[in-house]
Amino acid sequence: MAGRIITLTSGKGGVGKTTATANLGVALARCAQRVVCVDADIGLRNLDVVMGLENRIVYDLVDVVEGRARLRQALIKDKRLPELQLLPAAQTRDKSAVTEKQMIKLCEDLRKEFDFILIDSPAGIELGFRNSIAPADEVIIVVTPEVSAVRDADRVIGLIEASEKPAPRLIINRLRPAMVRRGEMLDTADILEVLAIELLGIVPEDETIITATNKGQPVALENRSPAGGAFMRIARRLMGEDVPFQTFEDSSGWLERLSHLFKR
Amino acid sequence: MVTLGEGEWHTVLNHLAAQLRRPGAQAFFQGARVFLETGTRALEVTQIEELIALLAQHGMTLVAVSEPSSQAALQRVHATLPPVPETLAVKEAAPPHPDTANETYALLVQRTVRSGQTYQYAGTIVVIGDVNPGAQVIAEGDVLVWGKLRGVVHAGAAGNVQAIVGALVLAPTQLRIGHLIARAPEEKRTPYFPEVARVRDGRIVVEPWTEISGRGG
Repeated sequence: MAGRIITLTSGKGGVGKTTATANLGVALARCAQRVVCVDADIGLRNLDVVMGLENRIVYDLVDVVEGRARLRQALIKDKRLPELQLLPAAQTRDKSAVTEKQMIKLCEDLRKEFDFILIDSPAGIELGFRNSIAPADEVIIVVTPEVSAVRDADRVIGLIEASEKPAPRLIINRLRPAMVRRGEMLDTADILEVLAIELLGIVPEDETIITATNKGQPVALENRSPAGGAFMRIARRLMGEDVPFQTFEDSSGWLERLSHLFKR
Repeated sequence: MVTLGEGEWHTVLNHLAAQLRRPGAQAFFQGARVFLETGTRALEVTQIEELIALLAQHGMTLVAVSEPSSQAALQRVHATLPPVPETLAVKEAAPPHPDTANETYALLVQRTVRSGQTYQYAGTIVVIGDVNPGAQVIAEGDVLVWGKLRGVVHAGAAGNVQAIVGALVLAPTQLRIGHLIARAPEEKRTPYFPEVARVRDGRIVVEPWTEISGRGG
């Protein structure tokens, strides 16, 4: 069966597209899917760093497109999960090194070898964004609970609708349940009310993400991480399973939980 | 304006019929003239006839068929689309601006108007859906939103201060009528109810939307 090409994008930078791509790749691979993560952020590559595979790069996406390397030579096997591979971006070039047509051709080649092709889109709505959307069968919007991120997501959803792709789905990243409870942060309903697209998953703010990212060890590899668990559930939803949404207890709420215990 | 979505023709037609049967829609669209945006669809003459019949049941007339606004889609459609029947084809999307208040030229937008998107029209604009923050709706006539209006809205853009802005939830970033500009109050009001903004004594005022025809009191 041919693989699914899924692009993760957001408009705004810094909302966690790359982290989400890496973790979703890991989560899908842990579900025994053959996954390739494609870094489309040419010139500012860092998916390789987040996945901890930087030191294995020999060839990159631009080398493949320009015929200096075969696809198989550029693909890097993950050291932990045999099902997971990475196609890194070039660091020395810029977005104009690749065209939409070349991206489509490349992804069609990958489709034969993998179940999931996850494309990490660069921020913005310019050439790099268009290149990463062009081959996509499905699009996932990553948003954080901030007004500016929601505004940019809305803009990007409009562009994707205009390009005649199916309606994108949404990952809400870095939700802080305690702040939402205090009314200091946009909650899921606020975001969905504006964006009006299907929710694919909610990832709670998780400090272990930062250390994990710096070490190149995606949290979805660990069973105890709350964010990692969220990405596992998103992966299962992507595979068509009906996984119920969770309400998050954050670690600062332990006093509350304790008082619940006493009330009983 | 009616924009056709993807999908099987009869599904699309049934969906449109369902929309027109919704409570309130009947009175709202009575006598309306319809612009049809075909999307990527290549319409058969018989399909257009079916559509005309459906619209006629609701007292609406089809006045024009237009091709999609998206540039990429336009090129693709040009390559595949059989010529639109001559009687229905129009070169210019916008009809002449109506001079009298009795005219009912309207652009019907049936989707969420998202950040960065702009709708501009020489008559009245009717949106069935939300107008999100960062979006713009600019009409020389009235603007009526069957949904949440949170973007920038300009009614009477050619200077008509008789124009009104109505919405189920009227919470625009900025609201203009003619040359006048108003901002939404800073605090959040709840619960929301349908409201209409109009000009009285040289100022924009907002009132509960009880009767749309009560122009200028």
